[in-house]
Amino acid sequence: MFMPVNNSAWISFLRQYGPIPKNDAMYDESIQRMFKKKRIKPINIESLYLPDLIENFKSSESKSVILTGTAGDGKTYHCRAVWSALNGSPIEWDDASKVKHLQLGQTTLHIIKDLSELSQNGSDDIEHFVKFCDSLLEPNSKDVFLIAANDGQLLDALRQVASTESLLLVKEFIEELLVSGKVEIENFRLKMYNLSRISAQWAFPRIVQNLFEHEGWIECDTCSFKDNDSLSQRCPIWENKRRLEGEYNNHNIHSRLVDLLTLCEVNGFHVPIRQLLLLVSNMILGHPAARDNIMNCKDIPKILGQQTISDGSIYRNIFGENLSERRRESRDIFSMLGRFGIGNESTNKIDNILIFGADDPELNSLYEKLVLEDSYYGADPRYRAQQKAYLEGTTEDEGKEFLSQVRSQRQRLFFEIPDSDSDELKLWNLTTFQYAGEFLNDVYRVALIDGKVSSHITSRLVRGLNRIFTGLLTKTQEELFLATSGSNSQAKVSKFFEASISVPRKRGESVSVIRSGAETALLQVSLSNSPNVPPIHLELNLIRYEFLCRVADGALPGSFSKECYEDILAFKSRILTQLQKRRIDEYEDEASNTNLTFQIIKLTTDGMLERKTVEVNI
Amino acid sequence: MLDRLPPHKKIDSDMWVDEAIWGHRLYDEETPWLCFMEFLNVLNAEIEENRGLKEDAEKRNELSYSPKSRLYLRHILFNSPQMSLIAKQFRNDSNAQWSKWMESMISNMGGVDHPDLNYLQDRFIDFEKFVEIVEFVRSSTIEGENNKRWSSQFIFPYGPDCLYEDLDVKDDKVTSDRRFFSRTGELLYLMLCRSGRQEEILDQLSSKFLNPDSKLNRLVAGLQPPAPVQEYRGIRTNTYLPYVDLEEYRNLADDWLSLFKCNLSAYDFIPYLVDLTGLHMVIYSLKRAYQTIGSDESPVFVLEIIGPKKTVIRDLAAESFSQNNNLSQRAVEAYIGSIKYTERWTSAAQENDITEIRALMKETFMWPKDSKDHTITNLGTPDAVFEEFAEAVERRHRQHVGKFHGGWTREIGLSSRRGSRRIRYAPHDSLLKTLVLVVVQERMEFKEFLDTLYSKYGFIIDAPQARKYIDSGRADQADFKENAKRLEQRLSSMGLLMRLSDACAYVENPFAIRGAN
Repeated sequence: MFMPVNNSAWISFLRQYGPIPKNDAMYDESIQRMFKKKRIKPINIESLYLPDLIENFKSSESKSVILTGTAGDGKTYHCRAVWSALNGSPIEWDDASKVKHLQLGQTTLHIIKDLSELSQNGSDDIEHFVKFCDSLLEPNSKDVFLIAANDGQLLDALRQVASTESLLLVKEFIEELLVSGKVEIENFRLKMYNLSRISAQWAFPRIVQNLFEHEGWIECDTCSFKDNDSLSQRCPIWENKRRLEGEYNNHNIHSRLVDLLTLCEVNGFHVPIRQLLLLVSNMILGHPAARDNIMNCKDIPKILGQQTISDGSIYRNIFGENLSERRRESRDIFSMLGRFGIGNESTNKIDNILIFGADDPELNSLYEKLVLEDSYYGADPRYRAQQKAYLEGTTEDEGKEFLSQVRSQRQRLFFEIPDSDSDELKLWNLTTFQYAGEFLNDVYRVALIDGKVSSHITSRLVRGLNRIFTGLLTKTQEELFLATSGSNSQAKVSKFFEASISVPRKRGESVSVIRSGAETALLQVSLSNSPNVPPIHLELNLIRYEFLCRVADGALPGSFSKECYEDILAFKSRILTQLQKRRIDEYEDEASNTNLTFQIIKLTTDGMLERKTVEVNI
Repeated sequence: MLDRLPPHKKIDSDMWVDEAIWGHRLYDEETPWLCFMEFLNVLNAEIEENRGLKEDAEKRNELSYSPKSRLYLRHILFNSPQMSLIAKQFRNDSNAQWSKWMESMISNMGGVDHPDLNYLQDRFIDFEKFVEIVEFVRSSTIEGENNKRWSSQFIFPYGPDCLYEDLDVKDDKVTSDRRFFSRTGELLYLMLCRSGRQEEILDQLSSKFLNPDSKLNRLVAGLQPPAPVQEYRGIRTNTYLPYVDLEEYRNLADDWLSLFKCNLSAYDFIPYLVDLTGLHMVIYSLKRAYQTIGSDESPVFVLEIIGPKKTVIRDLAAESFSQNNNLSQRAVEAYIGSIKYTERWTSAAQENDITEIRALMKETFMWPKDSKDHTITNLGTPDAVFEEFAEAVERRHRQHVGKFHGGWTREIGLSSRRGSRRIRYAPHDSLLKTLVLVVVQERMEFKEFLDTLYSKYGFIIDAPQARKYIDSGRADQADFKENAKRLEQRLSSMGLLMRLSDACAYVENPFAIRGAN
């Protein structure tokens, strides 16, 4: 039977975004060329800051702008978009000059789309940057700049030119903007947009939507593998696309992936647009048997013939399982997602379902729902045959192949277990971070909308802190105990009582989770109402949260991570320093007491911290 | 080459080799903590004589100080095995507890004339409270759980009343055998005296650690009898630091002063000071070795930031460790070998004038001791004399000074065996934190931080500092970059680093004054 197969130009274009060795699509310049060459309608992803930028340069009081961000955030893309929105000529944009000029009424706009090109070329070019710095301090300057640079290049350039006092001042201001994340500082004619602040939560759905609405997919309509009734003849590319978009399983893949990406960002790993594009491309096109491990239309008949469809499952591709370990590790996005350990981590229940579910009456209904129902990537003929052989002990490789399939199934389940079952099946135990789901949904996202984090969570955090601060296995969680060993506050066991801080608000004392800015949740410890004793903050990220929760639930502080332990001890040290300030503020002077009394902490038999007063008459 | 100050005439030594190169003396068994304690003892004794950190430029190495012995305190804390037993045996009878305990103590208090412990009963509500306090103070023992003798146990320096010297107490005989206060602390004292920063350092130390009014110092004082106390007190002399002026002294002092700028509570400074001192002492020892070999090289250390897998960097770090570890031996060989190039040696050797050779050896190296002259009378040739000497030098060097680098780098968390059989430089978290507190005022770009660690301490972590290894093909750029990346991640989980974008990150000092909460 003849099967019509399309060799879609769109698919081969999409492939260019994937993790192929020569990844030209990494750069705006080459992408523009490709669009033209292949006559493909360009992908235009909505930009969060672009309207602001254009408005700024059109205004009569325009300010210069620095666009910073990680490679792949779209800096060049933004520059070009501003240029064309202000009617700059496309031909001029493509010429070799490093600085583009555009007259806007009274002012001249200078666009430097890649600062590193300037600093490499010695003194002549760097003059532009000096001119830019000067213009910032000159209130009536007729020059405005749009400069794209990553943070490292920006700092390098500033270091190169910072020779005079005014340039040093500019350097200081810019550093302040970089570190504080503010967009502008008063009386300083500069705005700084950090494209790395665009969250994956914002960008990912837009990228998916944009790619899937592209007219290129129309070519697939005439392909016989698309949605073929026979599963063994169905195209995995289309299937992967289908699962990611639309209503498939309640949008689960989408939302779980956004959860993971958000957790990466809370941990300080930003995911640039280019990496998101790479991820989506790989999710849809990944397959270990294809050239460069990324499928093209012409690979499909071969893959179908070999019956290795499930090796290209979207769930595996999310983690770059289609790539060799070395190539996977070399891509930031996969090394980041790999840290969640999804596939390696599991629970007894999940593994029992996957392995014994068919024969276990108690697990059978879950097995049916989670495994059998998906006969394409779940219980495909290959999986069922391997499973049978494994259970009967007739595999030739001691079950190796089957266990690697179980691994893939765990990855699939992470994205397929419905929200309604996620507590019962302990979804997040499929990752290295058991508390990640709670952290994301009940702490981070609650704090960001100024909600109140449940008191049992705060209590657990305080219990974890108390265990670390005192070195005693306590259950106390209504008060935060501050103790030292008398000498060094960083000692493993600290029994010399310094103070206790009430967790519920009481005379200026409190421990709570609050929001800072648009994307940070903080644990706040207040010691006093006095403005001289401001509260102390600990930024809550996934690792810290997991650490505190695990310690609260019985892990030894040193066993999870030594670094985290040091980190929390440094937090303790900061609280103690603040306590010292409070003492000064409240005129408590230790030397003025003639009698020497102090308190030592003891652990009661039921695990509560208790203070005992000791007195000496000297 | 730098001029060395002349040795003391009265020193009773087997030979003068290690001491001539590094001073009297670097000692592996005196850990950085004990060195710091010895230093505080010298300092406190000298402050009492109004000479704190002052060394007369005309009278180098003539330090003579008289530290406290505080034997009452030490007997109570560390030589009173019956205490908790008696507390249990006579529970609820405080008087019996006191009297039984005092009875058990009085006959055993070596070094104290007419011991009398009655003052304690007036100060504490009851015996059990007293025991509690003793246990609490004892819990701050430095390097707790060690198995040193009781008279070499030290408590945390809460203030001047906590300072006393290391002693050997046998029955009634008290001697200073220098078992653990082996003069490395004296070297530290002299270095700071010659640092040009002595006044600022003195200010900081007296206000932070030598304040008699601090609560815990008063508590420890409360365990000691009212003045005047009748107990052993000795005078310590014969200190020797060979060089008048070195940049290493200034670097050490400057680092102390940078650390003092952090917003830490006073006692919290001490562990960092200890690490820092250890590091500078190691650098001092290596620099003197290079200098003695005739090289103006500065020591470098390849640091492995421990990762999950074995890497090329691990091998390089191990090799770098062993190179530095052998350096002192090479220095000693070069130092004694240079005698053969002197005119006196060559002409005496030509004429096989053994008497002249012996005289020369004694003048230069103080070898052998007068009492041991007979040990070399049977040696007939200059070479035989030299060989005998070289062997003796090596034997002696191996015992302590030769182990200094290995011991001290381990103590400060610079070297480790973790995850491998080979010792190599692989810094612990505590040392990394110390470095951040000292190097970073408020915040510093990560690459600049790495660069500063290299220029200040010779630490090689990232590729730009590792040119030598990369150019020679020993490692790839990528290996070192990975190493630096691991450090970045580690600092970040320690809360010491803030990431911007594109491998650009700031190292942050959480205790910086500005920027602090």
